This record gives sequence, structure tokens and C-alpha cells, in this order.
Amino acid sequence: MTEATIRPPRRRRSRSEINPLDYLKRPWMQLTLFLSFLFLYFPIVTLVAFSFNDSKRNITWKGFTWKYYEKALNNDSLHDAFVNSMIVAGTSTVVSTALGAMLGLALHRYRFPWKGTYEGVAHLPIVIPEICMGVAMLVFFNAIGMKLSLTTITVSHIAFTIPFVAVVIRARMTGFDVSLEEASRDLGASEWQTFWHVTFPYMIPGLVAGALMAFVLSLDDFVITFFTAGVGSTTFPIKIYSMLRFSVTPEVNAASTVLIVITLSLTLVAMIVQSRWAKGRQQ
Amino acid sequence: MKKMGRRLLSQVSRRAFMQGSAAAVGITFVGGAERSWGAEEKRLNVYNWDTYIGETTLGTFNARTGIVIQYDLYADNEELFAKLKEGNPGYDVIVPSDYMVEDMLTLKKLMPLDHSKIPNIKHLDKAFTNPAYDPGMMHSIPYMWGTIGLGYRKSKVDGPLVSWADVFEPERAKRYSGRIAYLGDMRAVLGCALKYLGYGMNTTNPAEIARARDMLIAAKPHIKTFAEDNGQDLLLSGEVDITMEWSGDIAAVMEEDDDLTYVVPKEGSNVWVDNLCIPTGAPHPENAHNFINFVHDVDVHMEIAETIYFATPNKSAKDRMSPDYTENPAVFASTDVLANCEALLSVGEHTRLYDEAWTAIQAS
Amino acid sequence: MEDWRKNKGAFATFLGPASFWLLVFFVIPLILVWVYSFGERGPQGQTYLALNFENYLRAIEPIHLGIFWKSVWIGAISTAVCLVVGFPVAMGIAFAPSRWKNPLLLIVVLPFFTNLLIRTYAWIAVLRTRGFLNFGIEWTHEKLDGLATLAGFPEAMGDFVPLELLYNQYAVIIGLVYVHLPFLILPLYATLEKLDRSYMEASLDLGAGQWRTFFSVLVPLVMPGIVSGALLVFILSMGNFLVPDLLGGTDSLMIGNLIAREYGAARDWPFGSALSFMIMYPVFIFFVINAMAARYRTHKRAAA
Repeated sequence: MTEATIRPPRRRRSRSEINPLDYLKRPWMQLTLFLSFLFLYFPIVTLVAFSFNDSKRNITWKGFTWKYYEKALNNDSLHDAFVNSMIVAGTSTVVSTALGAMLGLALHRYRFPWKGTYEGVAHLPIVIPEICMGVAMLVFFNAIGMKLSLTTITVSHIAFTIPFVAVVIRARMTGFDVSLEEASRDLGASEWQTFWHVTFPYMIPGLVAGALMAFVLSLDDFVITFFTAGVGSTTFPIKIYSMLRFSVTPEVNAASTVLIVITLSLTLVAMIVQSRWAKGRQQ
Repeated sequence: MKKMGRRLLSQVSRRAFMQGSAAAVGITFVGGAERSWGAEEKRLNVYNWDTYIGETTLGTFNARTGIVIQYDLYADNEELFAKLKEGNPGYDVIVPSDYMVEDMLTLKKLMPLDHSKIPNIKHLDKAFTNPAYDPGMMHSIPYMWGTIGLGYRKSKVDGPLVSWADVFEPERAKRYSGRIAYLGDMRAVLGCALKYLGYGMNTTNPAEIARARDMLIAAKPHIKTFAEDNGQDLLLSGEVDITMEWSGDIAAVMEEDDDLTYVVPKEGSNVWVDNLCIPTGAPHPENAHNFINFVHDVDVHMEIAETIYFATPNKSAKDRMSPDYTENPAVFASTDVLANCEALLSVGEHTRLYDEAWTAIQAS
Repeated sequence: MEDWRKNKGAFATFLGPASFWLLVFFVIPLILVWVYSFGERGPQGQTYLALNFENYLRAIEPIHLGIFWKSVWIGAISTAVCLVVGFPVAMGIAFAPSRWKNPLLLIVVLPFFTNLLIRTYAWIAVLRTRGFLNFGIEWTHEKLDGLATLAGFPEAMGDFVPLELLYNQYAVIIGLVYVHLPFLILPLYATLEKLDRSYMEASLDLGAGQWRTFFSVLVPLVMPGIVSGALLVFILSMGNFLVPDLLGGTDSLMIGNLIAREYGAARDWPFGSALSFMIMYPVFIFFVINAMAARYRTHKRAAA
């Protein structure tokens, strides 16, 4: 990742041994972070614990078992739903991050007639109750004769995640020093080169944050997905909501745990690779 | 013209089914552009609740007929309705409940069934073969049925519960204050309250609905929550001691905890039936008939009933099942209790009366 | 801000694709339900097109306005709690060494890769009468009771009474904060990350304390991030229906639940649409006024 900020020069301070801006080294910060992470992960830990519970329900502990992992891994419909969800979330994240970032940048940068109205409309996907949008999409796809499928789900997910990405990018861009772009142009860079070498690197943290948001939104969405799903496009949330009529079994916990473990290990691998690469570059 | 095509087609595929072999099918159009004259492609799109079928049912069907099933899921009747309202996205078999069948019929969303292709309906209990919502089962074949009642923890309740009064009368409910859960379903809760007051479950009389509403508002301080289909979990975890629930859900937790039991209160309650139907515009109606017939095959049906633990209308299957199932009060309600029970029917434009009463109850 | 005419090509490139997508796959479908909001419900739940304002009149009946108001309140409280919990996390990540930033971000978002429903169920397991939190408190109570008995006060602690943590507004707020935390942390992080720390250095050097530096330097600098994050959380919390359904008591009806019911069990799509637009109109107007105010300020500055 590009380090856009300039590190403040280290100075000796009489007030404390710790650099005052090194918040992570402060006990109160560490305590707050610890409590926040506890809040974030406590329910998840219970969820993981119950994936090993030898009972059909997530209620009382009845002993340790691997059987729900076996079941989850051998459950074709769970597997299909999982793959469908990943396809939808992956595709829509890529597209909506690109489109949303461009939208956020344009709204940040340009003044144009009817901008207020445009912004008002462009932010409605955040505000619209999910079910209202789901119904709207269903009616729309039927009206234009588009067959419901994974494509219609993805298309709808892109539409409702674009403004979320745009909001993050816009927040990121406020305070961006336009003189950097001007300097680049003055030095003879084209519009495109300026964007690519000056503006884009600055956007990256916003893009990461926006993409994560879009991914979570898409992966979690049930209502809009339900209305835009066709034959054979059952996603993970649809599967889980449908199980509700009976009971959510530890099998779902097991599947969720697998997803967490996969993501965690990918993160670790990425971190190791990145630090090796950084080391290699230093030498 | 089209009708004749269907009839021809039906003969082909019935023979195919009887011989139980995929190879016996005469003509198969690979492209499948014009279906009405050829045998259907070997596909079937089933739209049902999750875990509402036997573990091996779909596999066996595929092995016997070579038809590949795409099994998709919905979470409740109203979702199913909303999804099909604007047109059938391609489903062949759906499983709506009674009142939903009635509404879908009014809106011409269901195809008429050809009983000659579903010989297994001979196994059905006579009580189910002429439902009010679909006389003569012309468009729907009963799949499973059940009731709404009270699931409760015996050790925490004074004597066996017999009446809705214990949860609806504020004075009586006070004893169990904070230990009672209602369903989160407006027609179910208001319907049971109406039954307790001696009215019909499908009344459209505003005064009767208002009385039920006021009684529920008065009882509300003693109610812990409106459970969204997880009342059985609340009961099992000890969060509440009495919960209004669908029978099959309580049957499932009774297996895990002997202290739990189920009762349909004496004032009567709701009896519901889920039905196998073919929505209009289904791409594979032949296979759908075939599947519906298959589901009521006695062996197949026993496996389904044993897995999902709801009451079956298939008498031949029931007769062969163990008393664990057939004598479980949470699966099969007794006949005299059933006599007081009513099916939910569509109330048409009067739905708004229920909707507004329910909003008032929840917002008070 | 530049005028769009200065560089029409770049303007069109940036704004074009998203505008096209939103126009076709959002605005047109939206117009369909907007038309519905003036319609009528048929006996079986059909949607009849009409031109009447009955649905809107119904939406502003006191009972529905009360539900709106309550949703706004619960949304506001959840947003405030989200800020308190989320700000330190966003700050911690933004101030971490740069190679740690992305992994930390992912660790924060990781719980949200599990399904919303499953996560909410996990909270039920934590908060219920015989849940983990009560088990923890009971254990502490027992130990303290033991200590008190040792110290000669056997009756001091009394009997353990489990806390009623679930099925009330507090549980709803906890749930809403939990499910919406990333929508605050992510925009806030994106803003904090770019922060030029020399401002804070300067503030500290000039003798302001940490708290003062935080509130008078840091907070104003990252205001855009705070505002966008808070708005996202507020809007999403206000419209949520799953959390109040599962964690709320008998009085947890929020506007999202009502809308979901109108489209669902009540099968009244016109009224559901009218209620939905009652949420959308104010937000739309907010953006228009906001843009007008911005333009007015620019004009005034130009004039002066």
C-alpha cells in the first residue's frame, strides 16, 4: 500500500516516553481496542464453539463433534449456495467499486447543473428499504423480460452498492490537495497520467474500505437477492433464511467457521508475502 | 391443439415412468425449443422450504426417472406469492399453504392437475381430499399438515394447559408474566385470539377483530416477545416457558427435552395444510405431475415424514409408521380437538383490518 | 471544485458509467414502485394502478408517525453508540504501521463475512437468560459470594438473579450497533488514514492536551468521514427489520418491520411503497438543500 501521509519527524519529548501520536502504544487505547474487538468477536467465538456441538441446535452444549463439518462439506446445496454467493459478491464488488469510485470522484470534483438533484437520487439506494428495492427490481426485470438468474442478482447488487462506495471515496477525497494534480500537469503529465500516478494512489485506502463494504453488503443481502433470484440461483443467505422455518443447525455454524478460517488464512498468507516482498525490496 | 399435444405427451411419459427407466423415453429434444409435442427435457425446478423434504427423496427420484431436480428455497408463503405475482420465473412445483392456494387460484396462478397422472392420491386420507380452499383437489395435492398450539415446559406450568386463556387473558397470563412468547405472524396470533373469543378465525367483522386486538394489547405486558419462527428455541433454552408455535417445531424439540409438551387449546386453533401445486407457466408440467405422484409413494412419503416430523395426510404411509410418530400429540392432534380447528382462508380486501390491528398491537 | 465544462471528456468518463447503471437498474425500477405508491391494493393483493393519495394520508396517521419517530430515535442512539465504539477502532487502524493496516481492516470486517442472521442468532446465545453473559455474571457472583462468606457476610450477595438482557430496546440497539459497525469504521478509516499528523503535532507542541487536540484538531479534520459513516449507520439502523424482529421485545416495531409486512403478509404493495417513499423524500430533499446551500456559499464567496 502506498503511504500517502508524510511521517512526522521523531522528536524527543519531555512529557512522555511514547510518541504522543503513537496511540497504539497507549494503555487507554489498547484497552478500548481490546474491548471493541471483544464486542466484535464474542458472538463469533460462540458461533464457532457451537459448530462443534453434538446437538441439532445451538442451545445447550452436548459434547464435541466434527460431524457438522463433515455434513457441511458434503452438503451439495450448501456448497452450491456458497459458490453462488461468492460469484455474486465477487463480481458485484469489482464492478461497484470501480463505478462507485468514479462516481465519488466526479461528485467530489465537478460542479454541474442539477447536482443537488443528481446527488439526491444517487444516494437513494442507501436509503430505500431493501424490500422496496427488491420488489422494484422484480417488477422491472419482469417488465423488460429479463430472465431471473445470478446475473439479475449481480446487476441489482451493483446498483445498490455503488453509492456506498461513492460515499467512502468522497469522504476520502475531501482535503485532497488539488495542487498536486496541478503540479503534475504543469510538469507535462497528461490528464490520464495525472490520474493514474497522483490521484489514484491517494484513493487506494478509500478503495479498500469501499470494496470491503460492498463485499459485505452483497454477501449478506437476503431481501433484494430473494426477489431477483431465478431458478438455480439460491445464495447462502437465501439458504439460511429458508432454514429458519425449522431451526438453524450447527451445520451453518460450521460453514461460517470454514469461511472465517479461509479468509483468515488468506490474510495471513498475504501478510507474509507482503512482508517478504517488502524485505526483499529493502535489500 | 395444445391440449391434445399434452395428452399425447402424458402417455409417453407415464409409460416412461412406469418402466422406471430414462432410456424408455421416446423422443427427447435436446434443444427443447418447442416443448408441447415432444417429451420434456429431464429437468424439474422445485421451489420449497429448506429441509422440508426427505434426505434421499430427490436422489431417489433422479435415480428412478433420470430427471435432474433444481431445488430452490423460499422462507414463507408471502415471499412465494410476491415472487410469483409478476409471473413464474420457471418453477414447476411449489408448496403453498391452504389460504395461499386459494388466493393463487383466484389469480389463476395454478395449473389444473391431471389426477390420472397422480394415482398415488389414492393413499390420501379422505379428510384431506376435498379441501375448502380447493374443492376436489383440482389444483393442489396436500403434502403435510399441522396445527398451531402452545408448546410449554411441564415443570414450570401449573397443571397441563388446556385453554388459550392462560396466554390471552391478562389476569391469567400474569402468572407466567415474562415467560410467554407469541408467534410473530399476524393472522396466526389474531386468529387464535379470535378463536378463544368464540369467533371465526377468518372473520371480517371489525368489532370482533377489535375485541381480539384489545385483549392482546392488555395481555402484552406479560409477553416476552413475538417469536419469528424460533419459539421452539426459546422454549428449549428456557428463555420462555410457554410459546405459541407450529406443531412440527415443538415436536422437534420434544425429542430433545422430555419436559416439553404441546397442546392445541380446547377453544380450537388453526389447522394448516401445505400443498404440492404446479404454477401456471411451469416449463415441465409432466415431470411435475410425476414428482407429485412420487412424493405420495408410500415408501418415499414415509421417509419424508420421518425426516421432517410433520403430520402426513397420506394414510397408507401413516399406517405403516411407528407410534413414536403417529401417537405424538405434537404431530397429530386428536380428532375432537381438530373438530374445533379452522383453516385460514383468504380474507381478501379485509386483510387491512388485520394489518391495522396488528400494527396497533405492536406499536402500543 | 471545477466546472464540468472545463473538461467535459473527463467529466463524462467519471460520471457516465455509474449514472448509466443507476439510471437503468435503479431509477427506472424506482419509478415503477413510485407509481405503485399512488395505487390501490386488490382483494388478493394485486396492485391496481390509480392516482390517489390515500396511501400517503394513511402513512401520516399518528400511529405510523409514531413508528417513524421511534425508528429515528433508535437509529440516532445506535449511531451515537457506534461512534463511541467505532472511532477508537478506526483510529487504531489508521495509526497502525502501514503494513498492518489492511490486515487489521480485514480482521475488523471478518465477523461480517458470517451471515447477518447467524450473527444475530449468535447475539441471542450471548444475551439470553441462560446465555453466556449471564453465565459469566453468575460465575463472578458465585466467586464473590464465596469471598463474602469467607469474610463473614454470608448473606451479603443475595441470590443470583439472571439479567433480562434480551427482548428489549437495549438488545435491539446492541444488535444494530453490531451489524452496522463496519459502515462507520470503513469511511472513518478512509478519512483518518490520510490525516496529516503535523497538525496534531503542532497542536501538542503549542501546549494543547491530548483531549483538546482530539476534539479541536482531529475531529474537525475528519468530519467528512464521521458524517458519512454516521449517516450510513443512521439510515441503515432506522430501516433495519431483522434485528428488531429477533432481538426486540413486544414493543420493538420499527418502520422497517412495518414496510416489510406491507410488502409481505399484508400484501399491500401500494402502501408499502408509500411508506418507503416517506423515508426517501426527506433524504432526497436533504441532498438538494445541501447542494443549494453549497452553491449559495460559493456564489457569496465569489461575490465577496
